[in-house]
Amino acid sequence: MPTSRRAALAAAAVAVLVLPLSACGSSDGKGGSTDASGKVEGDITFQTWNLRANFKDYFESVVAGFESKYPGTHVKWIDQPAEGYADKISADAAGGTLPDVVNVSPDLVAPLAKAGLALDLDKAAARYEKEYLPGAWASHQIPGMKGTYAFPWYLNTGPLFYNKSLFRKAGLDPDRPPRTYDDLFTDALELAHKSGGKVATLANVPTIEDFGRYGVPLVNQQGTAFAFNDPKGVELLTKYKQLYDAKALDPQALTATPESSGKKFLTGAVAMNPGSALDLDNFKKQAPSLYRDIGITDQITSTGHVNMYVMGVMVNSRTRHTPAAVAFAHYVTDAAHQMAFAKKVAIFPSTAGSLDDPYFTKQDGTDETRVRVAAAKSLKTAVNYTPVLFSDQMKTALRNEVAKALQGKQSPKAALDNAVKACDTLLRQQG
Amino acid sequence: MASSTVLRGRRVKRQLPTSPWLFAAPGLLIAGAFILYPFVSTVVNSFTDRRTLIPGRFVGLANFRELLHDDMFWTGLRNSTLYVLGVVPALVVLPLLLALLVQKNIPGIAFFRAAFYTPVVASVVVVGLIWVWLLDERGLVNSLLETVGVGRVGFLSDQWLLLLSAMAVTVWKGLGYYMIIYLAALANVPRELHEAAAVDGAGAVRRFITVTVPAVRSTMVLVGALSSVAAFKVFSEVYLMAGPSGGPAGEDTTLVMLVQRTGTGLTGRVGYASALSVVVFLVTVALMLLVLRADRREES
Repeated sequence: MPTSRRAALAAAAVAVLVLPLSACGSSDGKGGSTDASGKVEGDITFQTWNLRANFKDYFESVVAGFESKYPGTHVKWIDQPAEGYADKISADAAGGTLPDVVNVSPDLVAPLAKAGLALDLDKAAARYEKEYLPGAWASHQIPGMKGTYAFPWYLNTGPLFYNKSLFRKAGLDPDRPPRTYDDLFTDALELAHKSGGKVATLANVPTIEDFGRYGVPLVNQQGTAFAFNDPKGVELLTKYKQLYDAKALDPQALTATPESSGKKFLTGAVAMNPGSALDLDNFKKQAPSLYRDIGITDQITSTGHVNMYVMGVMVNSRTRHTPAAVAFAHYVTDAAHQMAFAKKVAIFPSTAGSLDDPYFTKQDGTDETRVRVAAAKSLKTAVNYTPVLFSDQMKTALRNEVAKALQGKQSPKAALDNAVKACDTLLRQQG
Repeated sequence: MASSTVLRGRRVKRQLPTSPWLFAAPGLLIAGAFILYPFVSTVVNSFTDRRTLIPGRFVGLANFRELLHDDMFWTGLRNSTLYVLGVVPALVVLPLLLALLVQKNIPGIAFFRAAFYTPVVASVVVVGLIWVWLLDERGLVNSLLETVGVGRVGFLSDQWLLLLSAMAVTVWKGLGYYMIIYLAALANVPRELHEAAAVDGAGAVRRFITVTVPAVRSTMVLVGALSSVAAFKVFSEVYLMAGPSGGPAGEDTTLVMLVQRTGTGLTGRVGYASALSVVVFLVTVALMLLVLRADRREES
């Protein structure tokens, strides 16, 4: 075989191998426009986060409503499972296939905004800002960056559920659940003592949100470094260590997930568990005897502000149809649609004035309404304690250091110092 | 007739240089896209500080230097190594004994063969969850232990018991697979050898050591190599039983879990995770070579 022919063949083989791969690379970098004032038209894709299974009809009607309001638009709705949602978004973002409109949370939007993939709504949709609660609008602002990178969507918070029967057995008054951290720690130790260590009160190690609710400053004033290793943070972890030693904190708390601790509460192995109005239905179906004896109390907080979770709807900055994508993101999150969605599931609108609707203020004697009204009231002053830049890797770093302190392998102070150091390093690496 | 043969011969000769490539192209394309490219990409990324959404720049050996000072890397290396040491001997010996048991053609043996093989076809996630329920503080195993007066054991809360429990699941799940491999090997052991040994007065144990083991030695090497590579790359069992954080304080994290934790998500450190992957690859290759070399030395 002549050398030139062999070389040509080799080149062809390389091209055959490499050319298809070049299509798998990142996006071509051609950004869409930040101008959302043009005609609302074109095909866009909308991605939600584990909502198809229960709300298919609702979202199909939202899409149909938008398409009939704006002829010439077509919305393709896709839904991704809860598990691995961040991985799916990161794969799409890296592959240049991120949908035009994406359901996100503040911690997901931060890296996307830093990579220039989230549209700055302060530039493209500032006129809509007044429609939302100020705190909710600000929840998708990233420290160190100017702008707002997602429309606020639904909010959620929830009470603390407790098992009255376990309280009764321990000699505690089931109608007087703990309302302060001091009460909580005292009752938890009593429950563990009376049950011979068989009943724990809490099933999870303290998370960043727990430190926030306890009144620990989470980041420094400039927002450039973490600060939860201050004396207040050490105090909280020291208290948790006492609970762990007394088995008032479940021994499996070090490896627990929200799902596993929920199951422990259902089986009566744990006396208290945070939740939301959604859980009441779950208790009714899966643990009717627990449901009959369920106690509901407010989240415990030292700051006067409960924790809330915020969902958002982001517009891909590289969309080819910016006006349609912005219009749709606003349409999904406007007051009318958030209210309609809230009546289908126990979530709360982030639009201004919606929480004053009688649906969120009037009691009707049922537990569901009691939880809903109480949650709506607390949401007016609630805080999203999760720092926007707190990544999954940081959560793991904090969790592991906390676990070492609980096991007695290091002091609470050393554990939090190490966690802050690790989180600061990860923060710097994020750029 | 003769001319057509010549023609056909010429045609064949003319097509030879390119046609093999054309036949191989689909396979090459798939291997290139899904094996070669990711491999080369991983090696290249290991020398960069690339993150999920931010292209990296060349940092030389910085990632490899960093992992030498990363406590979690050493924890992962320790756990993955312990996994090999705990799982491989069990997976080399136990399936062979099991194969000897079910090799006999007695009524109903097919049921036992199928029963032993069932865990292999069961989903690792399902199997993992079942074992988590069994070994939970309030699970079946702890209830039994409490009934007999031993008290509750923290299978899922103690660092070492958790690792041992995960090893037990891996062994339990792998027994059937390697048993089938041994059954195939045992079928090739000449019956006469056993008969001759029996005539010479060898008992069952002696026949096992002097006839069966030498006859299936190459299969044992194969099982050893396959199971050591699989054990070093363990992920699912430990992830399911120890949770995403890798057990209490992350002390049960394996190297592959660390790769997953470090390199995935929107803030994933792809460069550093790639360096970890390269180390996993090198250790895996070293393990294979070690097993094969030991076999060759034995043979010589």
